[in-house]
Amino acid sequence: MSSRPISSIAIAGGGIVAWSAAAAVRRRLPSIRVTVIDLPVPENALADRLGCTLPSIVDFHQDLGLRDADTVLRAGSGFRLGTRFDGWSGYRSEFVHAYGEYGQTLAGSAFHQHWLRAEHLGEAAPFDDYSTGAAIALAGHFLPSEHTRASRIANYAYGLHIQPLRYREMMRAFALHLGAEERSGPISEVILRDDGFIEALDLADGGEIRADLFIDAGGPAALVRTQLDGRREDWARHLIVDQLIISDQTRPPVDSPALDHVKALDRGWTWEASSPAHVSRGLAYSSEHLGHDQARDLIDNGEQVVLAPGRLTDPWVRNCVAIGDAAVAIEPLEWTNLHLAHSAIDRIVTMMPDVDCNPVELWDYNRQANAEADRARDFVMLHYAGPNRPEPFWRDAASRPLPTTLEHSLQQWRERGRLPFHEEETFSRDSWAAVLIGQGIFPRRIDPLLTSVPKNESARAMENLRSAIMGVVAQTSQQSAYLRNLALQESR
Amino acid sequence: MLAQPPIDVVIVGGGTAGWMTAAALAKLLSQVCNVHLVESEEIGIVGVGEATLPHIRSFNERLGIDEAEFMARTRATFKLGIQFENWARIGDRYIHPFGVFGRGQGDLGFHQYWLRMLHEGHAAGHLDDYSIACTMARSGRFALPSEDPRKIASTFNYAYQFDATLFAPFLRSIAEQLGARRTEGRIVDVELDESNGNVRAVVLASGDRIAGDLFIDCSGFVSLLVGKTLAEPFQDWSKWLPCDRAVAMPCKTETAVTPYTSAIAMDAGWRWRIPLQHRTGNGYVHSSAFIDEQDAMDALVSAVEGDRLAEPRILRFKAGRLERSWVKNCVAIGLSGGFLEPLESTSIYLIQAAITALVELFPEKEIAPSDRDEFNRIVDLEYDRVRDFLILHYHATERSDTPFWDYVRTMEIPDSLSEKLDLFRRRGRVVKYREGAFLEPSWIAVYLGQRILPEGHDLRADLPRGDSLASGMEELRTEIQKIVQAMPDHLQMIAQYCPMAA
Repeated sequence: MSSRPISSIAIAGGGIVAWSAAAAVRRRLPSIRVTVIDLPVPENALADRLGCTLPSIVDFHQDLGLRDADTVLRAGSGFRLGTRFDGWSGYRSEFVHAYGEYGQTLAGSAFHQHWLRAEHLGEAAPFDDYSTGAAIALAGHFLPSEHTRASRIANYAYGLHIQPLRYREMMRAFALHLGAEERSGPISEVILRDDGFIEALDLADGGEIRADLFIDAGGPAALVRTQLDGRREDWARHLIVDQLIISDQTRPPVDSPALDHVKALDRGWTWEASSPAHVSRGLAYSSEHLGHDQARDLIDNGEQVVLAPGRLTDPWVRNCVAIGDAAVAIEPLEWTNLHLAHSAIDRIVTMMPDVDCNPVELWDYNRQANAEADRARDFVMLHYAGPNRPEPFWRDAASRPLPTTLEHSLQQWRERGRLPFHEEETFSRDSWAAVLIGQGIFPRRIDPLLTSVPKNESARAMENLRSAIMGVVAQTSQQSAYLRNLALQESR
Repeated sequence: MLAQPPIDVVIVGGGTAGWMTAAALAKLLSQVCNVHLVESEEIGIVGVGEATLPHIRSFNERLGIDEAEFMARTRATFKLGIQFENWARIGDRYIHPFGVFGRGQGDLGFHQYWLRMLHEGHAAGHLDDYSIACTMARSGRFALPSEDPRKIASTFNYAYQFDATLFAPFLRSIAEQLGARRTEGRIVDVELDESNGNVRAVVLASGDRIAGDLFIDCSGFVSLLVGKTLAEPFQDWSKWLPCDRAVAMPCKTETAVTPYTSAIAMDAGWRWRIPLQHRTGNGYVHSSAFIDEQDAMDALVSAVEGDRLAEPRILRFKAGRLERSWVKNCVAIGLSGGFLEPLESTSIYLIQAAITALVELFPEKEIAPSDRDEFNRIVDLEYDRVRDFLILHYHATERSDTPFWDYVRTMEIPDSLSEKLDLFRRRGRVVKYREGAFLEPSWIAVYLGQRILPEGHDLRADLPRGDSLASGMEELRTEIQKIVQAMPDHLQMIAQYCPMAA
């Protein structure tokens, strides 16, 4: 073979993203030596700092051989089934975006089409009622779907609410256990070869780290990766939130809901998410519409974070790839931050090139990573397209130009509730439907394909689904009960 | 919002495309549209012996068609894939199966483990040995796939080889039962609405005038409405796919009724062999720039296995598609919209993809441009991806024994394909798409079959211990053999399941 495989990787960063990358590479490609250059986590590295994660974290753990006992019990995490949106639109005061299915395909048509027809006739129960995850969470309960019959009705999935600092310690210990090495930063200089590849990172302590591949997991500044090329796609014209205040608190364990609460305010929105012994809160706003002092009145203490939404034009250039906030900076709404980092790590492992980092391999990596980031942005932006709130913040957010990919989805939806397929989509068709419907964005027409399904037939099937979901809910109980069970099994 | 008056749909042409469209609309949108098909028995249909892709099963299911009845009526056989002969080198043969290699589980493709064994110099045999579809095809056996996803017998899919001249009448009876109207007659004129350029009506030789809101152009190569009347430009792909003629001639089956189609490379193109219950379809797809029609005809006649059942006939075409398939109020479906040679049996698939898109985007009387644009986006994507896959078969060859093969071996290829090829050459990676006719296993089969052998493999394949990997692979191969040996012979299966009327 003309080229040779990568045998060493240096990862710059000291947060969850860096250590997760180290653990994944050591676990899945053990022939590669991994050195993590431990750097302080900047306050605006959201993937390292937010507590809410999507269901993909569970798959990520599975690939690493980590069990709930490690990631939940030992790291003090809780379970989450989705987000409860409050005051977000005038359509309903609240709606839930829960992960997994809303209803089931009936007579060859997507469930949401049946629901839209029923809604048009004024006969629909809330869309949330057809999500098992939403129903369980709204009852204040939690149970993973493999313990229920949901897979035959409307399946659901869970993410975790983590305590970022404890979780990072868990992941660091795991990566070290797998043979990753740790060096302390800071990095004093990035040494380039004549061909523009990175040769080594010089450390302030006089050390030098050489590697075949460098992963920049150091937060939005991407100090290593931008030495090669700093081109960036700026999303500020699409997304107006540029300020956050984030606060984390531990507390004595209580029973916590499996839904986080996202509430629209006049000039921004807040979140509150909790696991039994931990609460994370935050405020997201635009500096154009709210002063910092006024913002401080809306949330008890917390750290100020400045956000510049956007992504690198190409996350991977030559022998350096950016992940986490170094690659994509996006507001916390819908919690895509750590998900995108996990996805990048998974993609690096799957697409690991040779030491020459051939352009065709990087082209395919960047194509996938960019498509994924752009669609995550589209989904976040969708939440601002719907609300008809009269306040200047919301009017400004809703008036921003739509990226063509989002415009395409919205236009197809608005016509007849069609959700076109896009490659590298993070959120399922049902997630899109839940957020569109939750905001009261309805299609102009009923899907003509439904005309061959009698209305009462749909109605009966929908009612059966709903009562089957209530049956599942009846078998679940509070999250604390499930956690106790988990701990009991673990102690045996 | 709900009480729209029904749309009058006029389908021009009654071949496979026309009747598939009529049946689908009559079944799925009977409350929304009236279906009226105009065809002329004088014109006849192209329908040569057709091989299909597994997607057709979902089309039939959606229409509520009983599989055994359909197979009996169209004298169909089962199809597990395509065997390519003499493509990369004379004497080569490989199967592109409908199914995965290995067990199809885990996140790393089985071919990566196979490549590792190869790179380490182990005798891992042919990749085909680890595909149940290939093994079934080679041993001439067939049974329906298992529905238990944990079983190896669930890791294949299948399609049909059937008589397309019988498929259209079969669909016609269904469509007419569902309320589609049929008019016999030759179209002599097309009436346009001058205010907006839409087609208003077609006029028949009898003088009858058939008006409609939406016209489906299934007129075949003539492309009467979209190509001819509305003058939509044609994207010519013949520099990549130079074959522009086919000679077709059915014969008696003298050898085996194989549960697969054969595509045998010839001096200036390739020859199909499609065994049906009652005969075998043959044809020589060739390029008129490299061989003349008479020579191609002679070559076909001397290559087929049994007595001829009809005189050879010539089809003339050009590879490519219309810039847009849906223009104004006319939608081209089938040969009227584009043509890709039958090398990977995609003609019916492309018809089906267009029908699926039309049904999903079925317009109102006043056609929304967004419906039209979305339809065109979907159809273009399907055509473009199939195109690249076809070009791969020609370009990835070592043959230079005839001017034709020398041309395709050395021609420039689209960037979208050369990137895919480079990626596979390096570490056996397949560009990941979740939609389209051909997914990862198909690309792997054809790359390897065409002798594109990756220089390296995925590092994750190095994880298992060499001896346990070797023994695991050996077990798999043996298990597949055992399962296939217990399956009925292909003909026996047909005799039990779906024999044609005597």
